[in-house]
Amino acid sequence: MQSAFGLGRRRLLQAAALGPTLAMAPQWEVDAQTGAKTLTVAISNSPANIDPINMILHDPLVITESIYENLVEVDVNGDLQPQLAKALPELSADRLTHTFELREGITFQNGQPLTAKDVKYSFDTTLDPKRNAARRSVFTNIDKVTVDGPMRVHVTTKIPYRQWLWFMTKYMGIWPDGSREKYGDEYFKRRPVGMGTGPGIFESWRPNQYVSLTRNSNYWQKGIPHWDRLVVQFVPEDATRVAYLLTNKTGIIGAPPPRDFARLKKQSGLTGAARSTLGGWSVMLLNSLKPPFDDVNFRKAMAYAINREELAKRAFFGLVTPATVPAPPGSWWYDKKADSIITYNPDKAREYLKKSKYPDGATFDMLVPAVPYLLDVKNAAVAIQAELQKINIRPNLRLEDPLIALKHSTGGEAQCLLINIMQPGEPTYLIMVNLTPDRVMSKSSGWTSPELDKLLDEAYGEPDQAKAKVIYARMMTLLAEQSPYVWLGFFDSANLWRNNIKDFKVNQGLTMRARDVIPG
Amino acid sequence: MLGLVLRRVVFSLGALLFVSFVLFVLTAAIPVSPARAVLGFQATETQVHQFDHEHGLDRPLVVQYGAWLGPVLHGELGKSLVTDLNMNQEIARTLPITLELVCLAFAFAVGISILLGTVSALYEGRLIDHAARMLAVLGVSVPGFWLALLLILLFAVDLPWFPPGGIAPISGGIAEHVRSLVLPVFCLAVFYVAILSRMTRSSLVEVLSQDYIRTARATGLRRPLVLRYALKNALVPVVTVAAMSFGYMFGWALIIETVFNIGGMSGALLDAINQRDYALVRAVVLVFTMIFLAANLLADILNAWLDPRLGKAPR
Repeated sequence: MQSAFGLGRRRLLQAAALGPTLAMAPQWEVDAQTGAKTLTVAISNSPANIDPINMILHDPLVITESIYENLVEVDVNGDLQPQLAKALPELSADRLTHTFELREGITFQNGQPLTAKDVKYSFDTTLDPKRNAARRSVFTNIDKVTVDGPMRVHVTTKIPYRQWLWFMTKYMGIWPDGSREKYGDEYFKRRPVGMGTGPGIFESWRPNQYVSLTRNSNYWQKGIPHWDRLVVQFVPEDATRVAYLLTNKTGIIGAPPPRDFARLKKQSGLTGAARSTLGGWSVMLLNSLKPPFDDVNFRKAMAYAINREELAKRAFFGLVTPATVPAPPGSWWYDKKADSIITYNPDKAREYLKKSKYPDGATFDMLVPAVPYLLDVKNAAVAIQAELQKINIRPNLRLEDPLIALKHSTGGEAQCLLINIMQPGEPTYLIMVNLTPDRVMSKSSGWTSPELDKLLDEAYGEPDQAKAKVIYARMMTLLAEQSPYVWLGFFDSANLWRNNIKDFKVNQGLTMRARDVIPG
Repeated sequence: MLGLVLRRVVFSLGALLFVSFVLFVLTAAIPVSPARAVLGFQATETQVHQFDHEHGLDRPLVVQYGAWLGPVLHGELGKSLVTDLNMNQEIARTLPITLELVCLAFAFAVGISILLGTVSALYEGRLIDHAARMLAVLGVSVPGFWLALLLILLFAVDLPWFPPGGIAPISGGIAEHVRSLVLPVFCLAVFYVAILSRMTRSSLVEVLSQDYIRTARATGLRRPLVLRYALKNALVPVVTVAAMSFGYMFGWALIIETVFNIGGMSGALLDAINQRDYALVRAVVLVFTMIFLAANLLADILNAWLDPRLGKAPR
């Protein structure tokens, strides 16, 4: 027995020794030791796939935005810029057709030259209902894409609708004609080697660990990228992500812990910055079909009862810019007058409550994401509960997984959901999907208004920014007066990075932009 | 002995089948379709239904179970619902990482706890015994995630002795690999050092007070030899608890892998739960169950060797 046991032990040790040898080294870690310039970024969320038309979460879009490009892009300041197109599109007199001229000499990462056919193919595959792409609904206002010569395309929309230009950066890309049939959609979801025109070529993906891209040496923008390899690490634990940064295991981190952000950005060796996103709503989604939110005075009582300045300072640690309407104060469509209609005024809140169907107050369930989505709202939920109780409105906080909470809300079952949601940096998208009929989040609000629909149609068709601003001001005034939701503000995009990282800028569109960064 | 092994193997297979059914029912009872994780909350009900249909999630539960169990019995765990990756390959990739972590933590915990427990028992009521008790109380009381964060702060950030997370590949050098394992292995082991050392102590104290030990001492047998006999008997309950602990460690590894950002199988389980990837949850839990049952089977065999009476068939 003794010898048999001894032999078994030796075998066991031999088997145990196999463990680490099986844990093969990723190429980027090996190369990092040979001095190759690697830019490493750490984000909190891991993607389920890396196909831009099927990705759901915002921060992993740093991967797809490095692989794929589109006709135009939204830069880090939220401005629309030509990308694969030579210039921003010409708009037809009827405001339905956008014409793009493509840049000459651009090739895909597989060496194939970019032509107008590829652009048409990319839009057609995105819009193909059989493909069932998660982001298809974003582009359904596009009627058709037609090729007019090798380098010219026309995109015709069903209604005058310029907003779709802002959706191209995040939710789509241009890929080679016929590639989805040739390689299959799974290829795009898992290992899209050579399918984009961007600065990074897909190299490897270890789910829930990292995605690595190598430098596209034939990239059309000469001199960039400055890195040989881009590694996007997925580190969900806040403290570990910060430790990775402090120990130089990563160069840049996304979603820094709000409570520690101010302290960390002053720490030696680190730089940090935050800027308000143009589309990040911090909001209480109220269901107007369910009591007590079926009364506008009750909703307004809630809107007046919340001290957004204090909330932003103490519950969001300065990472939310207060706003009472769905327009961020830094945006061109912001209207101060509309944002001043609702203020923090408990007396006025009590007045509206008295005028409502529920003069003695009411109790309701407020869903709160248990796991932070974009920015933790649990502190804010407790603060809001305390504020509302002062005027006898009593929310019961119910913690739920974000997906379950959103399902309850979008299914029309929830009374109220406190959450952060994100749209590209233009004014209409979230208003449209939440507050107009038959959209994906229409049941979250249960609120519609023919006046709002009319204003949206006017805004879609108005190319002049000054004139559009007037329309948005009317829209914001209407939303403040009706308070279908209680808007708390716009959450910030925030990053921390090591001082040896150069040319990194925080993106108002939330997703990190790695293309121009010089690694340390 | 052979009878014992056969009985235990049959029992283990039955337990595995039972667990597989319970696991299947419980995961299927979760109200949110994995389609929501894959297609997003903006997906329409039609898209969700189509996803469920394509993945057989709209069929009766028993039919789903049968369709899942058949390939599993042939060692084919299928594909992840969310990432569509082959789960056999995923488990082959992540299991060695978790296994290495758990085996090292287990070896560390067993080695230290037997040493600590034996010393405490031999010096019962003395300063060293009290000190060991204090350490055990601390080991049991301190939450693993908190200890992990504290150690990262102290030994990775303030004193850069160890990396803050991840497992360095062995191809990058054995020293670096071992360095990257020190903190997670310690954090995973510390709770079990506390449990097993106290168990070793109490068991050994009891055995050392037995008549046959007193007799052995009285006959003038050398102390190390007496201790060896005593330990062999004292270790029977320790082996049983240690085997259970080995299984539980895979559960604790979930926290350790998350905090240290280690891409092992326990961490994959947490991700699968968050992503509603029931297929991966089932596969991972099934593999953990097999490991748990195998560890207990091994403990039974070891106990039968330590105490041959246990290996005899019941009358």
